[in-house]
Amino acid sequence: MTRWCLILLAVMALPAQAALRYHLEPKQIAPDTWMVEGKTENFSKENGGNIVNTAFIVTDAGVVVIDTGPSLQYGDALHDAIRKITDQPVTHVLITHHHPDHAFGNQAFPERSLSALPETTALLERDGEAFSDNMYRMIGDWMRGTQVVLPTQELAPGPLIVGNHTFQLWGFTGHTGADLVILDKTTGTLFAGDMVFYNRAITTPQSPGLNVWQQELDLLAEIPFERLVPGHGPMVTDDRAFRQMHAYMTWLDALFKSSANRGLTANEVMRTPIPGRFDSIAEASYELIRSTTHLYPRYEQAALRMLPEE
Amino acid sequence: MLRHALLLAGALASTGLAAYPKDPYGSPMWDYNLERYLGEKAEVVLDDRVNLEVPPFAEDSSQVPLTVDLSGFDTPVQKVITWVDLNPIPHLFTYVPQTRVTVVSLNFRVQQATTVRAAVQDESGVWHVGSAHVDAAGGGCTAPSQASSDPNWEEHFGQIRGGAFSPANQSRLKVYVRHPMDSGMVGNIPAFHIETLEIRDTAGGQDEPLLKMTLSESAAENPMFVFELPDAPPQYEVWMRDNNGNQFQRQVGEAL
Ligand SMILES: [Zn+2]
Repeated sequence: MTRWCLILLAVMALPAQAALRYHLEPKQIAPDTWMVEGKTENFSKENGGNIVNTAFIVTDAGVVVIDTGPSLQYGDALHDAIRKITDQPVTHVLITHHHPDHAFGNQAFPERSLSALPETTALLERDGEAFSDNMYRMIGDWMRGTQVVLPTQELAPGPLIVGNHTFQLWGFTGHTGADLVILDKTTGTLFAGDMVFYNRAITTPQSPGLNVWQQELDLLAEIPFERLVPGHGPMVTDDRAFRQMHAYMTWLDALFKSSANRGLTANEVMRTPIPGRFDSIAEASYELIRSTTHLYPRYEQAALRMLPEE
Repeated sequence: MLRHALLLAGALASTGLAAYPKDPYGSPMWDYNLERYLGEKAEVVLDDRVNLEVPPFAEDSSQVPLTVDLSGFDTPVQKVITWVDLNPIPHLFTYVPQTRVTVVSLNFRVQQATTVRAAVQDESGVWHVGSAHVDAAGGGCTAPSQASSDPNWEEHFGQIRGGAFSPANQSRLKVYVRHPMDSGMVGNIPAFHIETLEIRDTAGGQDEPLLKMTLSESAAENPMFVFELPDAPPQYEVWMRDNNGNQFQRQVGEAL
């Protein structure tokens, strides 16, 4: 009877699962270190939100996972991929920031391993439900069963030692107000989270501003590394991601400033053509519409003066 | 006599409901809102010169920029009406210009993906309609204003920032008002929004306002008004009144 039920359940579950499946291919980028590279696209029902980079480091005291992906199913697929590579259990899951593509696979990992900056956990608690509604709208069935799971462990800037790997953690604010950056000093691998995008336009919904972000990038660029894993886009081994970020953000800031000083409307700014030198940056036109919504009002207000009462 | 009646009937039929052109966007609200805002007998034509701009999607459903650009509309305008087809209260704003107005821009709230419309009435009474579509996750109309959850909102209430600009030799005016613009559609928060705005000419001594505007509940919190009045002197007075009787009046100076 029980067996019958199980077979029936398996048969019923099959079609849906077979239709939507993440094919995650971890790529070894350093000793003990794997990266799972996502597309540089926007969320869609085709890509299931596999548009983000995740990573894991197999230490001799357990596996350190960096970000869990956009859904329960992605988290499960990531956990399965880790089990194929090592028998070590996952002991640490470091969530770089509260965005859904980085934290919605949390459910697939032991709750006691889920760690983040306390501000990140607070932001996920605040925005999780709204993010979830939006994710169901954007990727649909891929979200099935996904629930927001808050990190249980607090991370603080400073050293973190797990087995034979020594990490250094930093807390920045430029992307969301709470952005974890992780250096594995043992291999020289810098996991920049969404503080660094490469060949993919930055997203700005919770950014405190381009100036803050750029100032922090200058600090980040001083950290010595062998290889850098951005939150989105391919890994780099030199400073090209920083140079691209700097050029693009400088252009964006100047565009908003000059547009505000000319009295342009948000709609006029949104349809600005992206300069050809940024052709390699995916989704730039799309993100310009979003960033204009997030950031342009501040520039507009700054270009006006307070009008005294008569 | 009979012939007269027939002619009259014919005239009625040709300007009646059946005479609306087909909606290029196929909205179920097309006929209903045309009749509601322009009248059953309104003569309506689709017109590309009525350039209505909205982003393809609403990144923030409580702040969606809408721009009516009439720089290509070369005949005098009596009246302009804008609405958001699928909002609970579709009407956004209506204005009556006494001078050429080439651009009007204002943010609106959007409840769901919808078509938006701008209808421009020419001197002969014909309505020229421009349309656009905005995709949206929605909920902008039923989301509370930020001010309604901010205990210190009164500190900034009624603050007005402004400026005059000259992009491409046009005379452009921007006015930003701190006002909750509560729609009355959210929980127990009563409607509290700016209903009327006038731009007056302080240099020319003209009696009639250069522009008279009325606003409805779809208008977004803390409105940023943009007006382009290419033929008017760059010295204005802006006057507003909300539904609680608060009046706001400011001078906006020379073009920068
Ligand atoms: Zn992010």
